[in-house]
Amino acid sequence: MTAAERPALPDGLRDRVLAASLRARAAGRPELAAPEISPAEAFSRAADAFYGMLGVLRTEDWGRLALRGLDVQGLVGHLTGVEEDVHRCLAGDPLVAQASHVGSTQPAADRQAGRPPAETRAEWQRAADRTLDLVHAAGDPGAEVAVHGMRLPLGALLVVRAFELWVHDNDIRQAASLPPAVPDASTLSLMTQAAAQMLPHAAARGGLREPTSVHLVLTGPGGGTWDIKIGHSPPAPAPVGIVTDVVGFCRLVANRATPDRLGLHITGDPDRAAMVLAAASALALD
Amino acid sequence: MGGTDALLAARLAAGDDVALAEVFDRLAPAVYSGALRVLRHRAAAQDVVQDVFVELWSHPGRYDPAAGPLRAYLTMQARHRAVDLVRSDLRRVARQERSSRLEPGQPDPSPYEQMMASEAAAAVRAAIEMLPESQRRIVELAYFRGLTCREAAKVAGIPEGTAKSRLRLALAKLENMLDSQLLESS
Repeated sequence: MTAAERPALPDGLRDRVLAASLRARAAGRPELAAPEISPAEAFSRAADAFYGMLGVLRTEDWGRLALRGLDVQGLVGHLTGVEEDVHRCLAGDPLVAQASHVGSTQPAADRQAGRPPAETRAEWQRAADRTLDLVHAAGDPGAEVAVHGMRLPLGALLVVRAFELWVHDNDIRQAASLPPAVPDASTLSLMTQAAAQMLPHAAARGGLREPTSVHLVLTGPGGGTWDIKIGHSPPAPAPVGIVTDVVGFCRLVANRATPDRLGLHITGDPDRAAMVLAAASALALD
Repeated sequence: MGGTDALLAARLAAGDDVALAEVFDRLAPAVYSGALRVLRHRAAAQDVVQDVFVELWSHPGRYDPAAGPLRAYLTMQARHRAVDLVRSDLRRVARQERSSRLEPGQPDPSPYEQMMASEAAAAVRAAIEMLPESQRRIVELAYFRGLTCREAAKVAGIPEGTAKSRLRLALAKLENMLDSQLLESS
């Protein structure tokens, strides 16, 4: 039977079928939802993975250039500095609220020079453990905290921190010629939710002023679908559609991949989609 | 947004309702016409279309893009569901036929049921003719004369266990024959 000979679909069938489908599974919900974990658990898993990766480095790897002129040892020192600022934040020190993520942690990076790598690794581990102790003592993951120019719930901060650990884990892997790591689906799911929530603020900060609605589809374990409104006025009628792999998107958000390196499928206004993607990559802390 | 079937499947798995609408617009006509060809009844074919798409949306991971195109997967699903419906209708019509002989005054069947009954009867008669004599005899006694297995065994002069195993074999053969007939006709 050719297409021309096919009987026309009965009126109303499309609406009926789509409605029945969405009753069976709500739009946006992945088919295989990753098991839910707490932000503290995500941070703990990222810290374990990071510590494990440091354990397989050879002595010569610690001196390799990793990021922003820092060698691997200096980058681990930077992360120790971040933990120390988080400790101050959780202790209520207002000075870390607007401290620069890079500038404030530079002394911790610098003090690693000439140290045995094992000492750098142990210092970072103690700092990460202390973060977890303070988080458990703080109790409420919804309590607002402020550090490095971010004001956000404690839970969200831990997800951001898990994200940063994963990103620097891969920076070091790249410097040491190790294969890249991918977080588990539960951690990825928290990371993508956080990125999708922060996207409107990043877009506003990045100069995307026109009201835009974005249909963001992240494929793969830990992914999902989000309809994101950018701007305050009624959104434009045709949404910008962005479909890409979840890990690639996280790399973009971390400013470790450019849109042209991702397998992107865009619909709608391509210029506006480019601005949204640029805003996503501006979420990176470095 | 278009893209390959693998991408569509990944989008469906990610909960992309836009992808679901795209797949429906592209493939529902083929799914509907496939179901209609087997069922020859519009309302029943629409139910099959709904079942197929709800199943795809609920479990997109069951479609393996490496095994073939999404169109072939969905039309095959529709055909299987339609054949299942016809099979269950055949059984229901046969049950009703038997009980109406025993209990007069049942409500008149609908035009669809009448059509199904007449097509089913013809298909079943043709399939029974192809059974070996020993199995055909036991089917006729059990289904057309309404005898229990024990009574049919007594009439045929064989042990009850033999009658049961012949009936089982005959029914399995009939199901296979009817399935292939329905699939060929679709």
